[in-house]
Amino acid sequence: MSTLDLAGLQDELRRQDVLISFSGPFSHGIIEELGKAVRHYLESAQVARSTLMDVFAVYIEQAQNVGHYVCRQDAGSAQARLASSGIVVIAQEDQRCVVSSGNLLDRADAPALIARLERLRSLDKAGLKALYKAQMRLPLTPQGGAGLGLIEMARKATMPLEYAFGEVDEQYVFFSLRVVI
Amino acid sequence: MDNALMDSLVIEASRSSPTIRFNAETRCLSVSGESYPENAAAFYAPVFAWLKTFLARLEPGAAVQVDLEVLYLNSSSTKVMLNFLDLIEQAAQDGAQVTVNWRYDPDNETILECGQDFSEELQALTFNLVEQSREPQ
Repeated sequence: MSTLDLAGLQDELRRQDVLISFSGPFSHGIIEELGKAVRHYLESAQVARSTLMDVFAVYIEQAQNVGHYVCRQDAGSAQARLASSGIVVIAQEDQRCVVSSGNLLDRADAPALIARLERLRSLDKAGLKALYKAQMRLPLTPQGGAGLGLIEMARKATMPLEYAFGEVDEQYVFFSLRVVI
Repeated sequence: MDNALMDSLVIEASRSSPTIRFNAETRCLSVSGESYPENAAAFYAPVFAWLKTFLARLEPGAAVQVDLEVLYLNSSSTKVMLNFLDLIEQAAQDGAQVTVNWRYDPDNETILECGQDFSEELQALTFNLVEQSREPQ
């Protein structure tokens, strides 16, 4: 294909009920701008304010998680590849907002992430709150990470967090996370 | 040394960081707006530096009023806010008369729940959940 098939791309986004998506390196400025767009869009769609803020909060946690993960890697071509692999998508399915994100993940980091996600999936609302409060007492990482993002997403979700790993190459898998608000 | 000799701390809001107005003379500390800075630890470092100096100079039994009107806190800002409240709680345990007003919009349940989460962590200070009247549309 010699030209971008924008109409086809748009059809595919529409087919998957995508409202807003961003794919590429997330700078803080992009996170702010896209966050503003998300809120304006949901306000104009007359989404309830508490739902709007939950969608916004999950979007921010996902986008900042991708950013923090990239920052933890050594600078260089691998970091650039990871940074450009980030994607966040907000879609509407059956009257519910779904916030999804994806990024390349080092295979070595997958087992710990799976363990955390499975733990979150096993907890009810009270369990998630207790875990959140315990984690809130631990110090921030030097990059400013709180280790709270996934728990926060699980608390705002109306269904257990869903995730998948796609095969990429010897070093990386593609991690996808889906949060239904 | 007296608190009146300390400069106030004023930080203007950006899209992802709140307005901070800490007045040493009136002992009113206010944080308002949204907080999801790129690096919460770095953003709040000068705030904590000021607060620690202020609390160290506080006279026994002094009244301190803290007004928090946040619209959104990301997870790392939530952790920072708890650290902030812990320091003020310590001052209350040491004898200061501390009142925290957590102001929330009734349409923003998340922020009300966030205030409730914090209040469960604090005992010595007075923590009020204050419903803000809605601005006319």
